[in-house]
Amino acid sequence: MAHVHLEDGAFTIEWVAIWTLIAAALIAIALYRLGGYAIPTRKLAIAAMCVAVGFAIFQIEIPVFGGVHINLTPLFGILVGPSLGSLAVLVINIFGSAIGHGGWGMIGANSIVNIVEVFLGFIIYRHLRNTWKASRFYAAFSATAIALTVSAFVALVIISISGIQGSAQGEAETFANLLVMAAANIATGMVEAVATGYIVSFIGRIRPDMLETAEGSRKPELPDSPAEVNASV
Amino acid sequence: MTFFAENGTSAVHSMNAWTKGALLAVVILLVIVADDPILLSVLFLFAVAFYAVGKLPIRLLIGWYSLPVFFVVTIAVLFIFTEPGDTLASVELLGRTLAITDAGLMLLLTLLLRALAVVTFSLALFMTTKYSHLAYLVSKILPRPLANIFLLSYRFNFETSDEISDVVDAVHSRNGNLVRGISKQTRLFAGIFGLSFIHAFERAERIAKAMEARGFSGEFPKVERLARPSARGYLLLSLVILALVFVAYSRYVNDVIGWW
Repeated sequence: MAHVHLEDGAFTIEWVAIWTLIAAALIAIALYRLGGYAIPTRKLAIAAMCVAVGFAIFQIEIPVFGGVHINLTPLFGILVGPSLGSLAVLVINIFGSAIGHGGWGMIGANSIVNIVEVFLGFIIYRHLRNTWKASRFYAAFSATAIALTVSAFVALVIISISGIQGSAQGEAETFANLLVMAAANIATGMVEAVATGYIVSFIGRIRPDMLETAEGSRKPELPDSPAEVNASV
Repeated sequence: MTFFAENGTSAVHSMNAWTKGALLAVVILLVIVADDPILLSVLFLFAVAFYAVGKLPIRLLIGWYSLPVFFVVTIAVLFIFTEPGDTLASVELLGRTLAITDAGLMLLLTLLLRALAVVTFSLALFMTTKYSHLAYLVSKILPRPLANIFLLSYRFNFETSDEISDVVDAVHSRNGNLVRGISKQTRLFAGIFGLSFIHAFERAERIAKAMEARGFSGEFPKVERLARPSARGYLLLSLVILALVFVAYSRYVNDVIGWW
């Protein structure tokens, strides 16, 4: 997962405010699409468990290329959809800030990057599975690879536009300096893409119903719980 | 974090959680607004003093510093060679001159001081505030759906981390670390992560049913209410906010504290 790996003070107050407002708007859209304060309990619990798993997996190092960390944000999009996935990545960023993985003021910028990953992961996977009938592995791999490549550049653009506080370099120079970072993110993203492909294939064999959000239901839907019925009335 | 928060007894532990939360917000604003290295150093030392008054282990803090230091260095190292300024040291590499400038080093220093000040204060806050108080704070600050997700996932972070660690240990104990090849390693860990997600979804379904069976109405009941800050808390906050206003004035209106 791409991440604006900057701590507090790296951006000026104006840019912290701008990215925070944009992220807040995206989160507000996600909340609205989920039903606002009447989000079904099941969806809340699923989002919470995604956060817990995502945060735990982040601490595990896969021993390839000297060790890489992945966060599986495109996988969130595939499993729970872009709206619920957006809420999940926001909470993960809050937890991350608490332990120094990114600044508190960076939550806005990081959430924008991660929401791009979640959204693209969902949209591309759905398109490849439903329209192109691609296998689960290739659909998930492609969706993750594209989502993480785009988000790496989104992070790069965010940092270039904002500039690093205290640096006299302009946007173009900052962009050139951070291309190395983007390249590293993209390379790591390819590992995550392969991992996500295998994970989705695995889940598809054991619990294919977990992929219904992105693939569409292929079996008669199970009846909603009473709370979900009441929320929709 | 939770162990120190629930079992500690210090002046910081007994400080009102609202006061500590507001102090964290002001510290964050201060590190963003202040650009004087001396001022940032003072802020960092204040954060460390706050942590020490909380009787929290310094060795643990130094361990926690590895993440923010790593992030700052990986970004700043790209800039210390290209930042315009007086050259301090240079080296010829493949026909190009790479020079470390004074401005580049100062950039690295200020970014580090900013990062470590906030991280220190954040850790001090979380390691001296009980879960019930944190839950109250979160439920008041965040919109209800986000607060619910935050509180549910906070509870299950530990269980999920333990479960994944147990699976990884099981793999290692069965010589899984002898598996060679990128594809095989990735498949192995993909299976572990896939299983974790399946267990997480199943746990989520059970939790949701349990919550509904117990009459969950969309808001977690608050075990302990948080009182407002005391008069001393308000005084402390007023002083810190005054300092913020002064620093902001010096930065944006009329520089009265700059020395560099």
